[in-house]
Amino acid sequence: MQLAYYPGCTIKVSAREHERAALAILRELGIALREMPEWNCCGVVHTLTGENLIRQMAPLRVLARLRQQGEREAVTLCDMCFNTLARANHLARTQPDQVSALNATSGGGLDYDGAGEVLHLLHLLRDRVGLAAIRKRVRRPLRDLVVYPYYGCKLLRPTGIGLDDPEMPTLLRDLMESLGATVVEGSLQTQCCGAYLAVDRAGLVTERVGATVEQARDAGAGAIVLSCPLCHFNFATLQPHAGAPLPVLYYTQAIGLAFGLDPAELGLDDRQMEALGRAVPSQALHDLAHARGGSA
Amino acid sequence: MSEPATLVTMELMGKEYRVPSGLTILAAIEYAGYKLVRGVGCRGGFCGACPTLYRREGSHRIFTALACQTLVEDGMCLVQMPFVPVPTKPYDLHGITPQPTTLLRFFPEIAGCVACNTCTRACPQGLPVMDYIQAALRGDIERVAMLSFDCIACGICSSRCPADIKHYAVGLLARRIYGKYLVPPSEDLAVRVSAIEAGRYDAELRKLMELPLADLRARYEQRNFETVAEQHRDHSATQRYNSPMDPVDYQDELEGV
Amino acid sequence: MELIDGYPASMRESIALVERTRPARLGRTFPAMSLEERKALLLGHHPDYQAGAKRPLRFGPSKGLLLNHELADLFEARPLVRPNLDLSTIDADVDLLVIGGGGAGTVAAIWAVQSGLDPARVLIATKLRHGDSNSTMAQGGIQAADRPEDSPVQHFLDVMGGGHFTNRPDLVRALVSDAPLIIQWHERLGVMYDKDSQGRFVENPGGGTSRNRMHSARDYTGLEIMRVLRDEARNLGIRVIEFSPAIELLGDESGRVAGAVLLNLETRRYYIVRAAATVLTTGGLGRVHIQRFPTTNHYGATGDGLVLAYRAGAELVDLDAVQYHPTGAAFPAQMAGLLITEKVRGLGAQPLNRLGEQFVFPLEPRDVEAAAFIRECGERGLGIPTPHGICGVWLDAPMVDLIHGPGTIRAALPAMYRMYTRFGIDMTRDPILVFPTLHYQNGGVAADEHGATRVPGLFVAGEVMGGIHGKNRLMGNSLLDFNVFGRRAGIAAAHYARAHRPGRLSLAHVAEYERMLREAGVETTRTAPRILPDYRGKEALERYLDVPV
Repeated sequence: MQLAYYPGCTIKVSAREHERAALAILRELGIALREMPEWNCCGVVHTLTGENLIRQMAPLRVLARLRQQGEREAVTLCDMCFNTLARANHLARTQPDQVSALNATSGGGLDYDGAGEVLHLLHLLRDRVGLAAIRKRVRRPLRDLVVYPYYGCKLLRPTGIGLDDPEMPTLLRDLMESLGATVVEGSLQTQCCGAYLAVDRAGLVTERVGATVEQARDAGAGAIVLSCPLCHFNFATLQPHAGAPLPVLYYTQAIGLAFGLDPAELGLDDRQMEALGRAVPSQALHDLAHARGGSA
Repeated sequence: MSEPATLVTMELMGKEYRVPSGLTILAAIEYAGYKLVRGVGCRGGFCGACPTLYRREGSHRIFTALACQTLVEDGMCLVQMPFVPVPTKPYDLHGITPQPTTLLRFFPEIAGCVACNTCTRACPQGLPVMDYIQAALRGDIERVAMLSFDCIACGICSSRCPADIKHYAVGLLARRIYGKYLVPPSEDLAVRVSAIEAGRYDAELRKLMELPLADLRARYEQRNFETVAEQHRDHSATQRYNSPMDPVDYQDELEGV
Repeated sequence: MELIDGYPASMRESIALVERTRPARLGRTFPAMSLEERKALLLGHHPDYQAGAKRPLRFGPSKGLLLNHELADLFEARPLVRPNLDLSTIDADVDLLVIGGGGAGTVAAIWAVQSGLDPARVLIATKLRHGDSNSTMAQGGIQAADRPEDSPVQHFLDVMGGGHFTNRPDLVRALVSDAPLIIQWHERLGVMYDKDSQGRFVENPGGGTSRNRMHSARDYTGLEIMRVLRDEARNLGIRVIEFSPAIELLGDESGRVAGAVLLNLETRRYYIVRAAATVLTTGGLGRVHIQRFPTTNHYGATGDGLVLAYRAGAELVDLDAVQYHPTGAAFPAQMAGLLITEKVRGLGAQPLNRLGEQFVFPLEPRDVEAAAFIRECGERGLGIPTPHGICGVWLDAPMVDLIHGPGTIRAALPAMYRMYTRFGIDMTRDPILVFPTLHYQNGGVAADEHGATRVPGLFVAGEVMGGIHGKNRLMGNSLLDFNVFGRRAGIAAAHYARAHRPGRLSLAHVAEYERMLREAGVETTRTAPRILPDYRGKEALERYLDVPV
C-alpha cells in the first residue's frame, strides 16, 4: 500500500525519531508513505491563538484613537458598532498581551490599555439620564400608541457585553412606557433578524421579518420600535407585501415625538407620519403630523 | 562640497556602493553609476515616479520613501519601484450624480479595508491614507478630497495594501466629484466668460495691439496696483484642512525590535 | 557640520538680524522699480545679458539668433537616426500624433478628441510617464482675469510689460482672452481650485501682475491640473505610449510633417508613427543647465522639441532669453535649485539680505527679481554664504503666518512646508535661503495663435512654443499657456488631420540638416536630441552643488 504523507514542521525539526520509527514500522507492515512533494505549515501557529486578531484592528484602532484624543468614554448609536467595540474592549481588558502583540506587529498606533469605555445611547438614557427625567420631559405622551419593542441580537448578546437580560429584556419596554405608550411583547423580540445571512439566505430574513411583524400585529401593535440600523433596514424594506406595512421607529424617534419635537427634525416624513396616524388614531399624533415645526 | 563628505554604504539591488553622505537616494544611485530611465521623474517631490522600498540595518520592516526627497543612510538596502499598476475602468464624470455610495460603487474593494493602516504608514507624503479610504467607505466625499489632496500618485499605498485597494484612484475620483459638483461654480467667472464670448474686450485689445510702443509703455507704467489686503475672503475649503505632514519615522521600532 | 534647527551657526547670526528687523518691515514694502531702473539692473546682472555666454546660430531659418552655448550645442549636433532609415514598416498609423505627455500634450489630445477625432486614432508619445512634466511641478498658480476688478485688457498689459514688450501681441491676446474659458473648463472637469464657500476663487498677486488673479490649488496647482487632465484623457480612451520619446520628425514628399520616429527607451527599438497631423509639446530645456545653473525642471526637460522642429524647418523665436526663477532653494544642498514657489512672496514674504534689510520689491517680474538677487550676492556682497559654497538671499517665510494668520503656511504652502521639514527646517519659524535657478525657456518654436508652425502639419504648444512671453514670462502664465495653446493646437490639428492624408514618409529634412551642418563647418561628435541628462558619478554632486567637484 502507498499513501501520501504530510509530515508537518515539528516532525521534521524536533520529532525526527518519531518519523523514523513510523516509517520503519510501516515498512515492516508493507505500507509506503510518499511525502507530499510540496507542503506548508499546517497553520497551528495561527489556529492555536484562538483569536482572529486582524478583525480586532479596526475596533482597537477606534479605542486607541479615543484615548489619544484625551477621552475616556464614547457614545455610539449603532448596535453593531457598540457590540464590536465593546467586545474589542473586553479583549483589551482580559487579554492585554494580545493587543500588545497586535500593536507590535502592525507598526504602532494600536497601543491601547483598555481604559476606554463604550456606551450605547441606551446606557446613557437609562443609567445617566434616568427614565424619570425622560418621563418629566414628555410633552405629548404617546397615549394611544401600541408598540412592539424589538431588540434583535447585538444589543443583548453576549452576556457581559449586552445591555440587558439576553432572554427577558425590559429596557425598551420601560423606556416606551415612560413615554406613555402601551407595550405589547412576544417571543420573537430577541430573535436575530437574520441580517448576517442577508446575502447567503435572503429568504430567511424575509421569513423572520414576516413572522415578527405578524406576532406584533396579532398582539395589537401599531408600530415596531427598535434600536439597530440593520434591523431597521430589514423591517422597513422586507415586510410582506400584503397590506400596509407596520411602521418602524427608532426609539429615538419615539422619544422625540413624545418630547413634542418636529417630526421633520426626527427624520420622519409625511408619509411615515401618516402611516403612524393610520395605525394609531391618536389625537396627539394627528396634531403632531399637522403641526409642522411646532415643538410644544 | 567644500568640506569632504563622509562615505556611507548602501546596498542597491543587491550590490554595495560607497556614496557620500548627505546625498538623496536618487543622487546616490546616480553617483554609484546608474543612469535612470525608470524610477525617476521630476526630481522635486511632485510626480511620484521614484518610490523606493528599503530596509534599515537592525529592523525587519520595509520602509518607503521618494528617492528624490530622502537622504541616503548608512546600511540602507534599497530598490526603486518603477511602477504600480492601478488600472481603473473609464468613467464619465459628467454623468455622475454624487451619492454617499458613489465611491463604493466605482471602487467596491474599499469595503475590504481592515483598518490595518499600512497605507498610511507607507505614504511618503505623510497623508492619512487609511482615513480617507474610511471616509470614502462612509460616503464623505469632501473629506476624501481634502485628506487626499496632496497625493502624488506614487502608488506605494496600493503596493502594500492587503485588500488591494486603489487608494490614489479613489482620491482622484473624490476630488473630481468634489471640484465639479460639491463646490459652487464661480459667478464672477461665468459673467466674465459671457462677456468675452460677446466680444466685450475685442475693441480695446485691438487698440492696445496697434498702439505705438512708447504709448503702450506709458499705459503699462500708469497701471494701478491692487494690494493683497484688498481681498478679504474666508479661507477656501482646501485650506480648512491642514495638510498632514511627513510620515512618522518609526524610530521606536528600530530600538524595540 | 553642527546644525541648529537646520542651519549652521554662521547662518543663524544673520537670521537673528532678520528677526530683529521683522516687526518694522511688516506692512512696509520696498518700492517697485521704474522701467528704466529695471533695464539697468538687467543689463548689469541678469545672466541673459552677460558677454561671452552666447553665440549666434550659424545656419537654418533662424540663422543669427543668439543662443547660450549649451543651447547652441543642441542645434550644432548630429541627428540620432540616419536619413536612410527604413521607413517601410509603419508601427502606428494615426490621425494625430502628440509628442510629449505633459500638460500641453494632454490638453491638445483631449481637445482633438472633443473636435471629433477618434481617440483610438490619437496617440500621445511621451519620454517618461504620462504626466511626468514641468506642468506637474508648477506650484503657485494660473492667471485668469475673472474678477470684476480685473479684465483681459489689464492682463494683456501685465504680460506685455513683463515680457519687455517683445511678446507677439496676437498670441498674448489669445492667452488673456482664453484664460477665463480655460478656468471654466477646469471647473467642469472637477479641478479643485482654492475657493471660498460661495465658489469664489481665492486669488493672489504674482510678480509683475497688477491685479490679484492667481488661481491656485494649495501649492500643488500644476499637479492638480495635470492629474485631472491625465484622468480625463484616460477616460476618453486616448492612446499613450510611455518611455518612448520622439527622436526625429518624419516628413512626406510634399514637405509636410507626417509623424515621427520614436525610441523605446527600454528595448532601444525604433517605433515609426505616421500621422496626418503632429503636435509637438515637449516642454522646456532646464536639464541642459545653461550657464551651469541648477534647475527646477523635470528630468526629461532637455529641449528635444526645439531640435526636432528646427530640423523640420520651423523657426525659433526669443530663445536668447531664458528664465531664471528668482527663488530656487539655496540651502540645504540637497534642495539646491528646487523651486520655491512665487506664491511665498505673493503671500507677503520679503526677500532680505545678510543684514535683514529689504533690497527689492518682492514682486518684480522674474528676470528683474532674479537680477536683484544676483546683484545682492555678487556686486554688493550682501548675500548669505552657505557651507557648500553657494550664496543666497533670505526669503522671510514666517511673515506669511504673521500677515494671514497662524497655519497659513501649512494650509496654503504644504508642498514647501513638507519639503523643508524633510530637511530639518521649519519655515513657519525661520526664513529660507534662495538663489535664482534655471526655470523656463521663455522663447521657442514660432507659431501662430493656433499653434501652427510654418511647416505644414506641425503644430506646437506649451513651453516649446515661443513668442507668447517675449523675453520673460510672468508667474501663472505657463499653466495658462499650455492650456490655452494646447487646446488651440489640438483643435487646429484635428481640423488639419481631417483635411490632409500623409504621403510617403521621408527623412529628407534630416539629410538637408546634415548638409547645413557641413556647410556651416560644424564638426562634432555631439548628438541631439539629448533625451535625458547624464548625472552619473561626480556629476551627481556637481549638479546639486553648482560647483565643480
